[in-house]
Amino acid sequence: MACEGPVKETALVFYWQPAYLRLMSDKKFFVSRYEKLGWKYRNVNLKQAIRINTMNSKEAEVVKRLQSHGIKLDKIPFLQSGYRVSWSEFSVGATSEYLMGLYSIQEAAAQIPVILFTELTDKTVLDACAAPGGKTVQLADLMQNTGAIIALDTKKQRLTALSNHLERCRVSNTIVYHMDARRSSRLNMKFDKILLDAPCSGNFATDKHWFRKRTINDVKRNAKLQKEILAESAKILKDNGEIVYATCSLEPEENEFNIDWAIKNLNLQIEKIDCYGEKAQTNIFGKQLDSSIENCRRIWPQKTQGFFVCKLIKCECK
Amino acid sequence: MIEPITDFVSRFNTRISLDQRLILRKKNHYFLIDDNLKRSVRKGFFYAGTYLGKTKNGKFFPSFSLLRLIAEQDANQIAVDEKTEWLFICGRDVFKRGIKKVKGSKRKGDYTLVLNQQGECLGFGKILRDLNEKIKNGVTIQNISDIGDFLRREKKD
Ligand SMILES: C[S@@+](CC[C@H](N)C(=O)[O-])C[C@H]1O[C@@H](n2cnc3c(N)ncnc32)[C@H](O)[C@@H]1O
Repeated sequence: MACEGPVKETALVFYWQPAYLRLMSDKKFFVSRYEKLGWKYRNVNLKQAIRINTMNSKEAEVVKRLQSHGIKLDKIPFLQSGYRVSWSEFSVGATSEYLMGLYSIQEAAAQIPVILFTELTDKTVLDACAAPGGKTVQLADLMQNTGAIIALDTKKQRLTALSNHLERCRVSNTIVYHMDARRSSRLNMKFDKILLDAPCSGNFATDKHWFRKRTINDVKRNAKLQKEILAESAKILKDNGEIVYATCSLEPEENEFNIDWAIKNLNLQIEKIDCYGEKAQTNIFGKQLDSSIENCRRIWPQKTQGFFVCKLIKCECK
Repeated sequence: MIEPITDFVSRFNTRISLDQRLILRKKNHYFLIDDNLKRSVRKGFFYAGTYLGKTKNGKFFPSFSLLRLIAEQDANQIAVDEKTEWLFICGRDVFKRGIKKVKGSKRKGDYTLVLNQQGECLGFGKILRDLNEKIKNGVTIQNISDIGDFLRREKKD
Protein backbone atom coordinates (compact mmCIF):
# COMPACT_ATOMS: atom_id res chain seq x y z
CA MET A 1 0.00 0.00 0.00
CA ALA A 2 1.21 3.44 -0.94
CA CYS A 3 0.41 5.08 2.33
CA GLU A 4 2.51 2.69 4.37
CA GLY A 5 5.36 4.51 5.96
CA PRO A 6 7.53 4.52 9.03
CA VAL A 7 5.54 3.66 12.13
CA LYS A 8 5.63 7.03 13.78
CA GLU A 9 2.98 8.60 15.90
CA THR A 10 1.50 10.33 12.88
CA ALA A 11 1.33 7.10 10.93
CA LEU A 12 -0.40 5.46 13.87
CA VAL A 13 -2.98 8.20 13.76
CA PHE A 14 -3.76 7.19 10.23
CA TYR A 15 -3.68 3.43 10.54
CA TRP A 16 -4.71 2.31 13.96
CA GLN A 17 -6.31 5.41 15.34
CA PRO A 18 -5.31 4.89 18.97
CA ALA A 19 -7.85 5.21 21.72
CA TYR A 20 -6.68 8.66 22.79
CA LEU A 21 -7.50 9.97 19.34
CA ARG A 22 -10.87 8.28 19.23
CA LEU A 23 -11.73 10.25 22.33
CA MET A 24 -10.87 13.44 20.51
CA SER A 25 -13.79 14.93 18.62
CA ASP A 26 -13.48 14.37 14.91
CA LYS A 27 -13.33 18.11 14.40
CA LYS A 28 -10.30 18.48 16.67
CA PHE A 29 -8.69 15.50 15.00
CA PHE A 30 -9.07 16.86 11.48
CA VAL A 31 -8.28 20.44 12.41
CA SER A 32 -5.05 19.34 14.08
CA ARG A 33 -4.10 17.53 10.88
CA TYR A 34 -4.69 20.70 8.84
CA GLU A 35 -2.45 22.57 11.26
CA LYS A 36 0.27 20.00 10.71
CA LEU A 37 -0.09 20.80 7.01
CA GLY A 38 0.43 24.47 7.81
CA TRP A 39 -3.15 25.73 7.56
CA LYS A 40 -5.09 27.23 10.41
CA TYR A 41 -8.75 26.27 10.42
CA ARG A 42 -11.27 29.05 9.88
CA ASN A 43 -14.84 29.00 8.78
CA VAL A 44 -15.66 30.29 5.32
CA ASN A 45 -18.66 31.84 3.68
CA LEU A 46 -18.68 30.99 0.01
CA LYS A 47 -20.30 33.13 -2.65
CA GLN A 48 -22.13 31.34 -5.41
CA ALA A 49 -20.28 31.12 -8.72
CA ILE A 50 -21.43 30.60 -12.29
CA ARG A 51 -19.67 29.60 -15.51
CA ILE A 52 -20.83 30.89 -18.88
CA ASN A 53 -21.36 28.22 -21.52
CA THR A 54 -19.64 29.89 -24.43
CA MET A 55 -20.78 27.22 -26.89
CA ASN A 56 -24.32 28.51 -26.50
CA SER A 57 -23.84 32.26 -26.35
CA LYS A 58 -21.26 35.04 -26.22
CA GLU A 59 -19.92 35.55 -22.71
CA ALA A 60 -20.35 39.33 -22.76
CA GLU A 61 -23.95 39.02 -23.91
CA VAL A 62 -24.88 36.62 -21.11
CA VAL A 63 -23.23 38.86 -18.54
CA LYS A 64 -25.14 41.85 -19.91
CA ARG A 65 -28.42 39.97 -19.81
CA LEU A 66 -27.88 38.89 -16.22
CA GLN A 67 -26.88 42.41 -15.21
CA SER A 68 -30.08 43.69 -16.79
CA HIS A 69 -31.97 41.50 -14.28
CA GLY A 70 -30.10 43.28 -11.49
CA ILE A 71 -27.66 40.43 -10.85
CA LYS A 72 -24.21 41.65 -9.80
CA LEU A 73 -21.32 39.58 -11.11
CA ASP A 74 -17.57 39.77 -10.47
CA LYS A 75 -15.20 38.06 -12.88
CA ILE A 76 -13.07 35.40 -11.14
CA PRO A 77 -9.52 36.26 -12.22
CA PHE A 78 -8.10 32.72 -12.24
CA LEU A 79 -10.89 31.18 -14.36
CA GLN A 80 -11.84 31.41 -18.02
CA SER A 81 -15.56 32.18 -17.95
CA GLY A 82 -16.27 32.11 -14.22
CA TYR A 83 -18.07 34.82 -12.23
CA ARG A 84 -18.99 35.25 -8.58
CA VAL A 85 -22.55 36.28 -7.90
CA SER A 86 -22.04 39.17 -5.51
CA TRP A 87 -25.73 40.09 -5.39
CA SER A 88 -29.00 38.79 -6.75
CA GLU A 89 -32.55 39.36 -5.65
CA PHE A 90 -33.58 35.88 -6.78
CA SER A 91 -31.98 32.52 -7.37
CA VAL A 92 -29.59 32.49 -10.34
CA GLY A 93 -30.88 28.97 -10.92
CA ALA A 94 -34.29 30.28 -11.96
CA THR A 95 -33.61 32.71 -14.81
CA SER A 96 -34.58 31.90 -18.38
CA GLU A 97 -30.87 32.25 -19.30
CA TYR A 98 -30.07 29.44 -16.86
CA LEU A 99 -32.93 27.29 -18.13
CA MET A 100 -31.68 27.82 -21.70
CA GLY A 101 -28.24 26.56 -20.73
CA LEU A 102 -26.41 29.84 -21.23
CA TYR A 103 -24.60 29.32 -17.93
CA SER A 104 -24.11 26.74 -15.21
CA ILE A 105 -23.89 27.17 -11.46
CA GLN A 106 -20.47 25.79 -10.62
CA GLU A 107 -18.32 26.44 -7.57
CA ALA A 108 -15.14 28.38 -8.42
CA ALA A 109 -12.55 25.70 -7.52
CA ALA A 110 -14.63 23.10 -9.34
CA GLN A 111 -14.12 25.10 -12.53
CA ILE A 112 -10.33 24.56 -12.40
CA PRO A 113 -9.75 20.88 -13.35
CA VAL A 114 -11.22 21.00 -16.86
CA ILE A 115 -9.22 24.06 -17.91
CA LEU A 116 -5.99 22.17 -17.15
CA PHE A 117 -6.35 19.87 -20.18
CA THR A 118 -4.42 20.91 -23.25
CA GLU A 119 -6.33 21.07 -26.54
CA LEU A 120 -9.63 19.25 -26.16
CA THR A 121 -11.12 19.80 -29.63
CA ASP A 122 -12.01 16.53 -31.40
CA LYS A 123 -10.57 14.42 -28.60
CA THR A 124 -12.00 11.29 -26.97
CA VAL A 125 -12.47 12.10 -23.30
CA LEU A 126 -13.52 9.96 -20.36
CA ASP A 127 -15.34 11.68 -17.51
CA ALA A 128 -14.92 8.82 -15.06
CA CYS A 129 -17.10 10.09 -12.19
CA ALA A 130 -19.39 12.47 -13.97
CA ALA A 131 -22.66 13.13 -12.17
CA PRO A 132 -24.30 15.58 -11.76
CA GLY A 133 -22.29 16.81 -14.73
CA GLY A 134 -20.95 20.29 -13.96
CA LYS A 135 -17.59 19.34 -15.42
CA THR A 136 -19.04 17.22 -18.26
CA VAL A 137 -20.81 20.33 -19.53
CA GLN A 138 -17.63 22.36 -19.08
CA LEU A 139 -15.68 19.76 -21.09
CA ALA A 140 -18.29 19.84 -23.87
CA ASP A 141 -18.11 23.63 -23.79
CA LEU A 142 -14.32 23.70 -24.22
CA MET A 143 -14.63 21.02 -26.92
CA GLN A 144 -17.37 23.09 -28.59
CA ASN A 145 -19.36 19.84 -28.79
CA THR A 146 -16.72 18.13 -30.97
CA GLY A 147 -15.10 14.73 -30.35
CA ALA A 148 -16.69 12.44 -27.80
CA ILE A 149 -17.11 12.44 -24.05
CA ILE A 150 -17.87 9.17 -22.31
CA ALA A 151 -19.41 9.94 -18.93
CA LEU A 152 -19.75 7.32 -16.18
CA ASP A 153 -21.30 7.21 -12.76
CA THR A 154 -22.50 4.48 -10.46
CA LYS A 155 -25.54 6.27 -9.03
CA LYS A 156 -28.55 5.95 -11.29
CA GLN A 157 -30.43 8.85 -9.75
CA ARG A 158 -27.44 11.13 -10.30
CA LEU A 159 -27.34 10.00 -13.93
CA THR A 160 -30.81 11.46 -14.38
CA ALA A 161 -29.56 14.78 -13.03
CA LEU A 162 -26.56 14.51 -15.37
CA SER A 163 -28.83 13.85 -18.37
CA ASN A 164 -31.04 16.83 -17.52
CA HIS A 165 -27.92 18.96 -17.24
CA LEU A 166 -26.71 17.82 -20.68
CA GLU A 167 -30.11 18.51 -22.25
CA ARG A 168 -30.42 21.94 -20.64
CA CYS A 169 -26.92 23.00 -21.72
CA ARG A 170 -27.34 21.61 -25.27
CA VAL A 171 -24.47 19.15 -25.01
CA SER A 172 -24.47 16.81 -28.00
CA ASN A 173 -21.11 15.00 -27.87
CA THR A 174 -21.61 12.85 -24.76
CA ILE A 175 -22.53 9.24 -24.13
CA VAL A 176 -23.50 8.35 -20.58
CA TYR A 177 -23.21 4.89 -19.01
CA HIS A 178 -24.33 3.56 -15.68
CA MET A 179 -20.93 2.06 -14.98
CA ASP A 180 -18.34 1.72 -12.26
CA ALA A 181 -15.17 3.54 -13.36
CA ARG A 182 -13.17 0.60 -11.99
CA ARG A 183 -14.61 -1.45 -14.87
CA SER A 184 -14.16 1.15 -17.61
CA SER A 185 -11.81 -1.05 -19.69
CA ARG A 186 -15.00 -2.98 -20.56
CA LEU A 187 -15.78 -0.11 -22.93
CA ASN A 188 -12.90 -1.31 -25.11
CA MET A 189 -11.81 2.22 -25.81
CA LYS A 190 -8.64 4.25 -25.40
CA PHE A 191 -8.86 7.85 -24.29
CA ASP A 192 -6.84 10.99 -25.07
CA LYS A 193 -7.94 12.62 -21.82
CA ILE A 194 -9.46 11.38 -18.59
CA LEU A 195 -11.09 13.55 -15.99
CA LEU A 196 -11.05 11.82 -12.64
CA ASP A 197 -13.16 14.00 -10.38
CA ALA A 198 -13.01 11.38 -7.73
CA PRO A 199 -15.68 10.44 -5.20
CA CYS A 200 -14.19 11.81 -1.99
CA SER A 201 -14.85 12.74 1.62
CA GLY A 202 -15.66 16.35 0.70
CA ASN A 203 -14.82 19.25 2.99
CA PHE A 204 -16.41 21.41 5.66
CA ALA A 205 -16.68 24.50 3.44
CA THR A 206 -19.52 23.01 1.41
CA ASP A 207 -21.04 20.82 4.12
CA LYS A 208 -21.74 22.33 7.51
CA HIS A 209 -22.17 18.90 9.13
CA TRP A 210 -18.89 17.64 7.70
CA PHE A 211 -16.99 17.27 10.97
CA ARG A 212 -19.90 15.49 12.61
CA LYS A 213 -20.29 13.06 9.73
CA ARG A 214 -16.78 12.17 8.70
CA THR A 215 -14.26 9.81 10.23
CA ILE A 216 -10.77 8.80 9.21
CA ASN A 217 -12.25 5.47 8.12
CA ASP A 218 -14.30 7.25 5.44
CA VAL A 219 -11.12 8.89 4.25
CA LYS A 220 -9.35 5.54 4.06
CA ARG A 221 -12.24 3.92 2.22
CA ASN A 222 -12.38 6.73 -0.32
CA ALA A 223 -8.60 6.71 -0.79
CA LYS A 224 -8.76 3.02 -1.67
CA LEU A 225 -11.58 3.53 -4.19
CA GLN A 226 -9.71 6.46 -5.74
CA LYS A 227 -6.59 4.34 -6.22
CA GLU A 228 -8.62 1.63 -7.92
CA ILE A 229 -10.17 4.15 -10.31
CA LEU A 230 -6.74 5.70 -10.96
CA ALA A 231 -5.30 2.28 -11.80
CA GLU A 232 -8.13 1.49 -14.25
CA SER A 233 -7.86 4.95 -15.82
CA ALA A 234 -4.12 4.52 -16.41
CA LYS A 235 -4.87 1.29 -18.32
CA ILE A 236 -7.24 2.90 -20.81
CA LEU A 237 -5.31 6.13 -21.33
CA LYS A 238 -3.38 6.51 -24.60
CA ASP A 239 0.37 7.07 -24.43
CA ASN A 240 1.06 10.74 -23.69
CA GLY A 241 -2.59 11.06 -22.73
CA GLU A 242 -3.60 13.25 -19.79
CA ILE A 243 -5.45 12.50 -16.57
CA VAL A 244 -6.66 15.40 -14.49
CA TYR A 245 -7.24 14.11 -10.97
CA ALA A 246 -9.27 16.22 -8.56
CA THR A 247 -10.97 15.91 -5.21
CA CYS A 248 -12.74 18.35 -2.94
CA SER A 249 -11.16 16.64 0.04
CA LEU A 250 -8.51 18.22 2.26
CA GLU A 251 -7.17 14.88 3.44
CA PRO A 252 -3.69 13.91 2.15
CA GLU A 253 -4.64 10.23 1.91
CA GLU A 254 -7.04 11.15 -0.92
CA ASN A 255 -4.64 13.57 -2.52
CA GLU A 256 -0.84 13.70 -2.19
CA PHE A 257 -0.50 10.11 -0.90
CA ASN A 258 -2.63 8.72 -3.71
CA ILE A 259 -0.73 10.62 -6.38
CA ASP A 260 2.59 9.57 -4.89
CA TRP A 261 1.36 5.97 -5.16
CA ALA A 262 0.12 6.52 -8.74
CA ILE A 263 3.42 7.84 -10.09
CA LYS A 264 5.30 5.00 -8.42
CA ASN A 265 2.99 2.27 -9.68
CA LEU A 266 1.06 3.31 -12.77
CA ASN A 267 3.50 4.58 -15.40
CA LEU A 268 2.26 8.12 -14.89
CA GLN A 269 4.15 11.28 -14.23
CA ILE A 270 3.03 14.61 -12.86
CA GLU A 271 2.97 17.58 -15.18
CA LYS A 272 3.50 21.03 -13.80
CA ILE A 273 0.32 23.10 -13.82
CA ASP A 274 -0.16 26.79 -13.49
CA CYS A 275 -3.36 27.49 -11.62
CA TYR A 276 -4.86 28.93 -8.45
CA GLY A 277 -3.78 27.18 -5.26
CA GLU A 278 -0.59 26.43 -3.42
CA LYS A 279 2.11 23.87 -4.17
CA ALA A 280 1.32 20.53 -2.57
CA GLN A 281 3.74 19.44 0.15
CA THR A 282 6.22 16.63 -0.26
CA ASN A 283 6.66 15.74 3.38
CA ILE A 284 3.39 14.98 5.13
CA PHE A 285 2.89 13.50 8.60
CA GLY A 286 6.52 12.36 8.53
CA LYS A 287 6.24 10.62 5.19
CA GLN A 288 8.58 11.74 2.41
CA LEU A 289 6.84 11.85 -0.98
CA ASP A 290 8.24 12.16 -4.49
CA SER A 291 9.52 15.68 -5.10
CA SER A 292 7.29 16.10 -8.19
CA ILE A 293 4.26 16.10 -5.88
CA GLU A 294 4.92 19.80 -5.41
CA ASN A 295 3.52 20.26 -8.92
CA CYS A 296 0.07 19.34 -7.63
CA ARG A 297 -2.14 22.13 -6.29
CA ARG A 298 -3.81 22.20 -2.88
CA ILE A 299 -6.50 24.80 -2.32
CA TRP A 300 -7.46 25.62 1.26
CA PRO A 301 -10.99 26.95 1.78
CA GLN A 302 -11.05 30.72 1.64
CA LYS A 303 -12.25 32.29 -1.59
CA THR A 304 -13.28 28.84 -2.80
CA GLN A 305 -14.10 25.51 -1.23
CA GLY A 306 -11.22 23.17 -0.37
CA PHE A 307 -9.76 21.36 -3.36
CA PHE A 308 -6.87 19.35 -4.71
CA VAL A 309 -5.94 19.01 -8.36
CA CYS A 310 -3.11 17.65 -10.47
CA LYS A 311 -2.34 16.57 -14.00
CA LEU A 312 -0.78 13.23 -14.85
CA ILE A 313 0.72 12.15 -18.18
CA LYS A 314 1.10 8.56 -19.28
CA CYS A 315 4.71 7.89 -20.20
CA GLU A 316 5.42 6.12 -23.48
CA CYS A 317 8.34 4.30 -21.90
CA LYS A 318 6.90 0.98 -20.63
CA MET B 1 -39.00 3.90 -35.96
CA ILE B 2 -39.00 7.71 -35.97
CA GLU B 3 -42.70 8.19 -36.76
CA PRO B 4 -43.60 9.49 -33.31
CA ILE B 5 -41.03 12.25 -33.87
CA THR B 6 -42.01 13.14 -37.44
CA ASP B 7 -45.71 13.07 -36.54
CA PHE B 8 -45.07 15.41 -33.67
CA VAL B 9 -43.01 17.79 -35.80
CA SER B 10 -45.73 17.92 -38.47
CA ARG B 11 -48.12 19.46 -35.94
CA PHE B 12 -46.03 22.63 -36.27
CA ASN B 13 -46.61 22.63 -40.05
CA THR B 14 -42.99 21.80 -40.75
CA ARG B 15 -40.56 18.91 -41.20
CA ILE B 16 -37.07 18.17 -40.02
CA SER B 17 -34.78 15.76 -41.79
CA LEU B 18 -33.43 13.09 -39.50
CA ASP B 19 -30.98 10.43 -40.65
CA GLN B 20 -32.51 7.17 -39.38
CA ARG B 21 -29.02 5.66 -39.11
CA LEU B 22 -28.15 8.20 -36.47
CA ILE B 23 -31.22 7.81 -34.31
CA LEU B 24 -30.84 5.55 -31.31
CA ARG B 25 -33.73 4.23 -29.34
CA LYS B 26 -33.38 3.12 -25.76
CA LYS B 27 -36.67 1.70 -24.52
CA ASN B 28 -39.05 4.59 -25.19
CA HIS B 29 -36.35 7.29 -25.41
CA TYR B 30 -34.94 8.65 -28.67
CA PHE B 31 -31.47 10.13 -29.22
CA LEU B 32 -29.72 11.73 -32.19
CA ILE B 33 -26.00 11.06 -32.57
CA ASP B 34 -23.36 11.82 -35.19
CA ASP B 35 -20.97 9.46 -36.99
CA ASN B 36 -18.25 10.07 -34.45
CA LEU B 37 -20.48 9.10 -31.52
CA LYS B 38 -21.82 6.17 -33.53
CA ARG B 39 -18.33 4.66 -33.46
CA SER B 40 -18.10 5.10 -29.69
CA VAL B 41 -21.54 4.08 -28.53
CA ARG B 42 -21.87 0.70 -26.78
CA LYS B 43 -24.80 -1.43 -25.72
CA GLY B 44 -26.50 -0.39 -22.51
CA PHE B 45 -25.87 3.37 -22.79
CA PHE B 46 -27.99 5.59 -20.55
CA TYR B 47 -27.97 8.77 -22.67
CA ALA B 48 -26.32 9.64 -25.98
CA GLY B 49 -25.82 12.73 -28.13
CA THR B 50 -28.92 14.88 -28.35
CA TYR B 51 -32.01 13.69 -26.54
CA LEU B 52 -35.06 14.01 -28.76
CA GLY B 53 -37.89 12.88 -26.52
CA LYS B 54 -39.87 9.89 -25.34
CA THR B 55 -43.14 8.12 -25.97
CA LYS B 56 -45.49 7.26 -23.14
CA ASN B 57 -48.92 5.65 -23.50
CA GLY B 58 -48.77 6.28 -27.24
CA LYS B 59 -48.03 9.98 -26.82
CA PHE B 60 -44.79 11.72 -27.77
CA PHE B 61 -43.08 14.04 -25.29
CA PRO B 62 -40.42 16.16 -27.03
CA SER B 63 -37.17 17.28 -25.49
CA PHE B 64 -36.22 20.94 -25.54
CA SER B 65 -33.43 20.06 -27.97
CA LEU B 66 -36.02 18.77 -30.43
CA LEU B 67 -38.09 21.93 -29.98
CA ARG B 68 -34.96 23.97 -30.77
CA LEU B 69 -34.42 21.90 -33.93
CA ILE B 70 -38.02 22.59 -34.94
CA ALA B 71 -37.56 26.29 -34.20
CA GLU B 72 -34.73 26.38 -36.74
CA GLN B 73 -37.29 25.42 -39.43
CA ASP B 74 -40.19 27.43 -40.70
CA ALA B 75 -42.42 26.24 -37.88
CA ASN B 76 -45.49 27.78 -36.24
CA GLN B 77 -44.26 30.14 -33.61
CA ILE B 78 -45.19 33.12 -31.51
CA ALA B 79 -42.88 35.62 -29.83
CA VAL B 80 -43.97 36.88 -26.42
CA ASP B 81 -43.06 39.88 -24.27
CA GLU B 82 -40.78 39.67 -21.26
CA LYS B 83 -43.53 39.39 -18.65
CA THR B 84 -45.26 36.63 -20.59
CA GLU B 85 -41.90 34.86 -21.02
CA TRP B 86 -41.52 34.73 -17.26
CA LEU B 87 -45.10 33.57 -16.68
CA PHE B 88 -44.77 30.95 -19.43
CA ILE B 89 -41.63 29.38 -17.93
CA CYS B 90 -43.47 29.27 -14.62
CA GLY B 91 -45.96 26.98 -16.34
CA ARG B 92 -48.69 29.52 -17.19
CA ASP B 93 -50.72 29.84 -20.40
CA VAL B 94 -50.23 32.74 -22.82
CA PHE B 95 -52.67 35.65 -22.89
CA LYS B 96 -53.41 37.41 -26.17
CA ARG B 97 -51.88 40.72 -25.06
CA GLY B 98 -48.50 39.08 -24.35
CA ILE B 99 -48.06 37.95 -27.97
CA LYS B 100 -45.81 40.25 -29.98
CA LYS B 101 -45.42 38.31 -33.24
CA VAL B 102 -47.01 35.29 -34.91
CA LYS B 103 -45.44 33.18 -37.63
CA GLY B 104 -47.22 30.29 -39.36
CA SER B 105 -50.56 28.91 -38.28
CA LYS B 106 -53.07 30.94 -36.31
CA ARG B 107 -55.56 28.09 -36.35
CA LYS B 108 -57.22 26.74 -33.22
CA GLY B 109 -55.92 23.28 -32.31
CA ASP B 110 -52.48 23.64 -33.94
CA TYR B 111 -49.26 23.50 -31.99
CA THR B 112 -47.01 26.54 -31.85
CA LEU B 113 -43.56 27.16 -30.42
CA VAL B 114 -43.27 29.92 -27.86
CA LEU B 115 -40.20 32.13 -28.25
CA ASN B 116 -38.91 35.11 -26.30
CA GLN B 117 -37.94 38.48 -27.78
CA GLN B 118 -34.45 37.15 -28.52
CA GLY B 119 -35.94 34.34 -30.62
CA GLU B 120 -35.03 31.64 -28.09
CA CYS B 121 -37.40 28.73 -27.68
CA LEU B 122 -39.16 28.58 -24.31
CA GLY B 123 -41.43 25.63 -25.03
CA PHE B 124 -44.63 24.99 -26.93
CA GLY B 125 -48.34 25.14 -26.60
CA LYS B 126 -51.66 24.56 -28.29
CA ILE B 127 -53.62 27.39 -29.94
CA LEU B 128 -56.90 27.55 -28.01
CA ARG B 129 -58.68 30.14 -30.16
CA ASP B 130 -57.89 31.41 -33.63
CA LEU B 131 -55.20 34.04 -33.30
CA ASN B 132 -57.06 36.15 -35.88
CA GLU B 133 -60.06 36.38 -33.61
CA LYS B 134 -60.67 39.95 -32.52
CA ILE B 135 -60.55 39.65 -28.77
CA LYS B 136 -58.85 42.08 -26.45
CA ASN B 137 -57.47 39.48 -24.10
CA GLY B 138 -57.93 36.01 -22.65
CA VAL B 139 -55.90 32.83 -22.78
CA THR B 140 -54.98 32.00 -26.36
CA ILE B 141 -52.13 29.49 -26.05
CA GLN B 142 -52.29 26.61 -23.64
CA ASN B 143 -48.87 25.82 -22.15
CA ILE B 144 -47.99 22.20 -22.89
CA SER B 145 -44.30 22.25 -22.06
CA ASP B 146 -41.83 24.95 -21.00
CA ILE B 147 -38.16 25.12 -19.99
CA GLY B 148 -39.16 25.72 -16.36
CA ASP B 149 -39.53 21.96 -16.42
CA PHE B 150 -35.77 21.68 -15.81
CA LEU B 151 -36.29 23.32 -12.42
CA ARG B 152 -39.30 21.19 -11.63
CA ARG B 153 -37.21 18.09 -12.47
CA GLU B 154 -34.34 19.31 -10.21
CA LYS B 155 -36.81 19.71 -7.35
CA LYS B 156 -38.22 16.24 -7.97
CA ASP B 157 -34.75 14.57 -7.91
C1 LIG C 1 -17.20 14.47 -6.93
S1 LIG C 1 -18.59 13.71 -7.59
C2 LIG C 1 -18.47 14.12 -9.30
C3 LIG C 1 -18.92 15.50 -9.65
C4 LIG C 1 -18.98 15.73 -11.14
N1 LIG C 1 -17.72 15.44 -11.79
C5 LIG C 1 -19.40 17.14 -11.48
O1 LIG C 1 -18.57 17.97 -11.84
O2 LIG C 1 -20.61 17.42 -11.41
C6 LIG C 1 -18.14 12.03 -7.60
C7 LIG C 1 -19.11 11.12 -8.32
O3 LIG C 1 -18.51 9.81 -8.39
C8 LIG C 1 -19.54 8.87 -8.39
N2 LIG C 1 -18.92 7.55 -8.08
C9 LIG C 1 -18.70 6.98 -6.89
N3 LIG C 1 -18.07 5.79 -7.06
C10 LIG C 1 -17.88 5.64 -8.39
C11 LIG C 1 -17.30 4.63 -9.20
N4 LIG C 1 -16.77 3.54 -8.64
N5 LIG C 1 -17.31 4.78 -10.54
C12 LIG C 1 -17.87 5.89 -11.11
N6 LIG C 1 -18.42 6.88 -10.38
C13 LIG C 1 -18.43 6.75 -9.05
C14 LIG C 1 -20.52 9.40 -7.37
O4 LIG C 1 -21.80 8.84 -7.56
C15 LIG C 1 -20.46 10.91 -7.64
O5 LIG C 1 -21.49 11.27 -8.51
